[in-house]
Amino acid sequence: MWCICESLKTYANSSNGFKMRLLKIGFNTHRENFLYIYANAPLDTTKDSQRMTIVRPRLNDFHNISLTQEEAEFAIPFIDEDIPLYLDPFLLWKSPSLQDNSLHLLITNSFNRLGLLLSQQKEKEALELLVRASECDEVGLGNSKKKEGKRIGQKLAQNVLQQFSSIPQLKKSGFIHFEEIQLLVDNFSKDRVSDIACNFIQSFLVDFTIEQCEKHGFPIEKVRLKNLYNPKTFSFIEEETHLPVNPNSKKPIIFTPKRWLRNIPWLNTDDYFQNFFLPNIVKDEDEFPDKIKLLNFNRHNYDIVQAYTSIKEKQFENCKNDPLFTQIPITSARRKISTITSLPTGKTNNADKLFEQNVCQLMASLVYPHLDFAEEQSRTESGVQIRDLIFYNNKSSDFLKEIYETYDCTQIVMELKNVREVEQNHVLQLNRYLKEQFGKFGIIIARNPPPAKVVKNIIDLWSAHRKCILILHDEDLKLMTQVFESKQRNPIEVIKKKYIEFTRLCPS
Amino acid sequence: MSKVVIDEFKKVLNQLEGLHEEISSLSKKSYTDALNGFKLKMTNQVLKKTNKILGDHYKPFDDFEVFNEEDLPTNSDVALVLSQYINCMESLREENIFSKIEYTSSGSVAKIIWLWKSTKIETYPPKNVKR
Repeated sequence: MWCICESLKTYANSSNGFKMRLLKIGFNTHRENFLYIYANAPLDTTKDSQRMTIVRPRLNDFHNISLTQEEAEFAIPFIDEDIPLYLDPFLLWKSPSLQDNSLHLLITNSFNRLGLLLSQQKEKEALELLVRASECDEVGLGNSKKKEGKRIGQKLAQNVLQQFSSIPQLKKSGFIHFEEIQLLVDNFSKDRVSDIACNFIQSFLVDFTIEQCEKHGFPIEKVRLKNLYNPKTFSFIEEETHLPVNPNSKKPIIFTPKRWLRNIPWLNTDDYFQNFFLPNIVKDEDEFPDKIKLLNFNRHNYDIVQAYTSIKEKQFENCKNDPLFTQIPITSARRKISTITSLPTGKTNNADKLFEQNVCQLMASLVYPHLDFAEEQSRTESGVQIRDLIFYNNKSSDFLKEIYETYDCTQIVMELKNVREVEQNHVLQLNRYLKEQFGKFGIIIARNPPPAKVVKNIIDLWSAHRKCILILHDEDLKLMTQVFESKQRNPIEVIKKKYIEFTRLCPS
Repeated sequence: MSKVVIDEFKKVLNQLEGLHEEISSLSKKSYTDALNGFKLKMTNQVLKKTNKILGDHYKPFDDFEVFNEEDLPTNSDVALVLSQYINCMESLREENIFSKIEYTSSGSVAKIIWLWKSTKIETYPPKNVKR
């Protein structure tokens, strides 16, 4: 098998005019035996350079894989930043899946083993395990802008381990939900809970990542994981495997199932304090506790923490994973469109900013899940604030596929203009952005239908440079909101309609 | 009209009236809302059959065949077109029916029967079509 793999790799990288891309690796029950499968298509270098300029790029954008967040079973990683969600072990505990439950058990057992090591006078080993488990860069969850985190220090690790010896219940039987540690130790936050959980089930996540890569065609490379937890030996080991890598840093990436992700863990300090401690424990005459006092109290009254946990266990049905993007409700959409249409044009009473604010929120919800929202971009040009809406084009409908193929549009830019009448310079302004990842397609969102001379201008632009600029106005937004509400059609079809109308105007 | 054409006429007219009733009620609820893709597809199928029956002479609009799904026609647009088609179907029917009067033994009118021309298939009297 090894010989076949090596020969294939040599052939693929040979200078016979085709640089081939590793598409997929099949493996048997052990991750050591692989079968490399290469695509015989040459790498598209122009598209590669285009992908490098994508705003807030995700892994699938870089590899030109059409996949919306809605379709993916995992949170699609960003290339330059972390996914702003955390793995909540409680979601594994409450899951109807036995696999998830057993993974939760693995996390809890692995964490409780730290207490066992402590009781066996192996404090040094326990400390090392905890420190190594405290950071998991490969999954890329959290708020880091650099995709790099720091492990916890010795002092904090000692503090955590101390709980196993100072709290009798923990000494005797350990944790059932190890995220309770947030309620006992200062500076131990949700990102630590998430990273520890990810580390203890990393082996499963590696298999999940390889499976998803095969399913969606993400290229994978040989990587060396330096911090892989082995549940059989309860230790961290190094292992060579095949994973997708970050194109910039070349570091391995591990996918996390999105059903396990939340903004904040189900058991968390704020919820404990606001909804349990204040109403049930604090009496009127008591002094309002600060965080240190609260944690001290918890350590001395662990049974109260257990009572809180058992209440939260009973409310498990309310514990849901958080999606990366949530559409605004229909009533809110209705309110937003009526605010937009009642706004005056221009800058009177900050109408332009209100227009931008409302359209951003509304449009991101209207076109979801067909278009994933990438970013609101604001910058100053010639002293005027310009705000764009940028969406990833995942070719999720025939219309989006067409604009991708015809106009090279990997990201869709929408320019917001709260003006009474769209002018030629607005079109030219958008035209200047139409390069690189935006291709030759852009949308202006204005207040009124464009005058004939502007329509002629955009048709001329198409005739001369094959660039397509659509102009949406209040009536189109109203129709989009109406179909969003009635669910009779998809709001994106309104944009398609505008595109068809545009193509009818173009000279044949 | 042959028996086969009359049968097809009756079937298509029933379908047109059913769609018109359904879409009119949607239009009353929200006239600016777009009709969903499924209903539009069904409507277009019926309109295609209707165009065939009406021919160029009775077709309500020269430049209209069926709805373009990408144009997102609204409920009221579709209701309007359907009502025009129903009226034109009635015009075609009027041209193809005749009345036969049956008398009593005393010479007074017993009943008026409406029949499709050159057949013995009965039909109902012409509706009061606005022209």
